Amino acid sequence: MLKKILLVACGLVVLAATVIAVKIGPSNIIGMIRYDQRREGDLKVGDVAPAAMLVSLDGRSRVPLLKTNTGRPQILVFGSFT
Amino acid sequence: MHQRYGDRVDFQTVYIREAHPLDEWQMDSNVKDDVCYRQPRSLQERVNIANDFVKRFKYGVPLAVDAMDDPVEKVYAGWPERFYIIDARGRIVYKGEPGPFGFHPEEVEAWLARYARGPVAQSRGRAVTQQ
Repeated sequence: MLKKILLVACGLVVLAATVIAVKIGPSNIIGMIRYDQRREGDLKVGDVAPAAMLVSLDGRSRVPLLKTNTGRPQILVFGSFT
Repeated sequence: MHQRYGDRVDFQTVYIREAHPLDEWQMDSNVKDDVCYRQPRSLQERVNIANDFVKRFKYGVPLAVDAMDDPVEKVYAGWPERFYIIDARGRIVYKGEPGPFGFHPEEVEAWLARYARGPVAQSRGRAVTQQ
């Protein structure tokens, strides 16, 4: 009896894994394993936002990440085209 | 959001390393939308793609590019996409989860709406924001 239950459970797990793999797509599974770099990071709500410099769209001049002494909040959006 | 609140709040887009370049984790949707770039090997290449992005979407939000060793992304853990809200004192008051699943513009918009309504609305929303 226990053997039968284990076999059915294993079958269900394999079936669920197959459905997920088909739905996500094999290339996305490989991509996720090889290239997923998402991480929580060390910054927390309440921390002072670290200052940093960025490169402007002309490719040469540097611009600060944070505007200081403006008396205004700032929204930071991280991302890329792809 | 930028059009609606840009007169009261500063916005900065940080253009970071590609999430789904041709030579790494290419997405079918990017092929369909003709967004096909390899992972940049030089700062100029990254800047060129950022400029393509701005032109294609007529992107009006201030945008600047992270250097090739990804110093800003490393500190803020911004890959592949992420929101932060920094208050006027320079402190983080909202840290979104990484995209795509944790990328929620509506949460940022809700904060902005509270901010626009004034200090009372902000203090009511703080408990939610800081969870």
